[in-house]
Amino acid sequence: MTDRTLHFPLPDEYEDAELRARVAAAYQAVPTADPAQVERCARAVLAAAMHAPAERRTGVVSPRWWWGVAAAAVLVVMTSRPWRPELARNEADSAFTASRPITEPRGATVEERGDVTRFDLVLPTEAEEVALVGDFNGWDENATPMVRRAGNTTWSARVPLPPGRHIYAFVVDGRRWLVDPLAPQVPDAGYGPTNALIVDGTN
Amino acid sequence: MVHLAFVALFAITQSQSQGPAAPGAAGAETHAVRGRDAAADAQLQFDAARFDTLTASTLRAILDSARHQGLPTAPLINRALEGAARRRGGSEIIAVVRQHLAALTNAKVVLGEKSTVAELDAGASALKVGIDANTLSAVRASRSAGEAVTPLVVLTDIVKRGVPTSTAREAVTSIARMPHSDDALLGLQVTVARNSLRGPGMALDALNRYVRGTLSGTMSPPAPATIDRKQARPPFP
Repeated sequence: MTDRTLHFPLPDEYEDAELRARVAAAYQAVPTADPAQVERCARAVLAAAMHAPAERRTGVVSPRWWWGVAAAAVLVVMTSRPWRPELARNEADSAFTASRPITEPRGATVEERGDVTRFDLVLPTEAEEVALVGDFNGWDENATPMVRRAGNTTWSARVPLPPGRHIYAFVVDGRRWLVDPLAPQVPDAGYGPTNALIVDGTN
Repeated sequence: MVHLAFVALFAITQSQSQGPAAPGAAGAETHAVRGRDAAADAQLQFDAARFDTLTASTLRAILDSARHQGLPTAPLINRALEGAARRRGGSEIIAVVRQHLAALTNAKVVLGEKSTVAELDAGASALKVGIDANTLSAVRASRSAGEAVTPLVVLTDIVKRGVPTSTAREAVTSIARMPHSDDALLGLQVTVARNSLRGPGMALDALNRYVRGTLSGTMSPPAPATIDRKQARPPFP
């Protein structure tokens, strides 16, 4: 057993002239490679390497450049919806707001049946208790406690309200007064802002 | 026949005395609104137990003064109770109530004797924001008695959010003149409020787009999602 690398000398390395001539003749006797055979081998190697057919398919199902253009046009038309601009704007508004993390309270008021109005409030942080105060309960923090809904940040209260204008605010943990930033606001009277709600009573 | 003619003439005279914007049945409705308003004003009693003695007596004097002037006392009592709930001092509460009394006095002069309590309160708030008397008069002219609360609330809010008073007046009065346009006005308020969060100029641009769409009829006001529920304001997104 030997681990020496085998060395095959070139014809010029042989000292014997006859041997040198015989080796050269043997090299020249090797047949020349067929170009077609070389091409077939190259194609097979490339096809295996690229996991793709060696020849491109042609026919009715082959991709066309205008397929991409048509898809892009449909996408633009469906998202911009030029025939319903207000809908597209509303969705854009929602997307803009939804993409932002909640950093300030969000509220909503819904008139329900029987002159009952539901107040919803989503807080950016958790709270122990939230109360609804306003001109309808004498600004009494204990009169209308809000009920915790899904999670610890969503609160709700139902209040029977007669038609008219009502002023209200939220009290968090008995010390922090909050307003809904998107609802109509009554200017600061000297204490802080409050919200205004108009109940039309048509429900 | 002569008797019937006199009755008809009397009815016409009465309906004209309500002003051009409140003919016939609308005048009766206005009386009903004012009656309900007065009842609501009388129902709200002053709870002196929530104030110290000195503050309570001063507030009583202010309320008496308001009654003598024919002004509603409910908005003043509300301001006082709000101050007590916020645990503010007696002197601060008295100052706020006095300021509101002055604003109510001015609002009554501008909006007229027939205005309801809610209209006077909303008008007083508008004056506090800095809205001038001419603008309040324009809003008053766009709606009959008892129906100007929503325009006044929306006007106050959008001016507070940075819309110039002249632009806000044009927008609110032009929409308020349309029949059954309270929902459209509240939609305007929501649009301005949302866009004012995006930066200066955005609220104004949104207001212009909204008014153009509403007046041309291409933009409908927010509609109730179902029959049994009516949104006073769209929910949070």
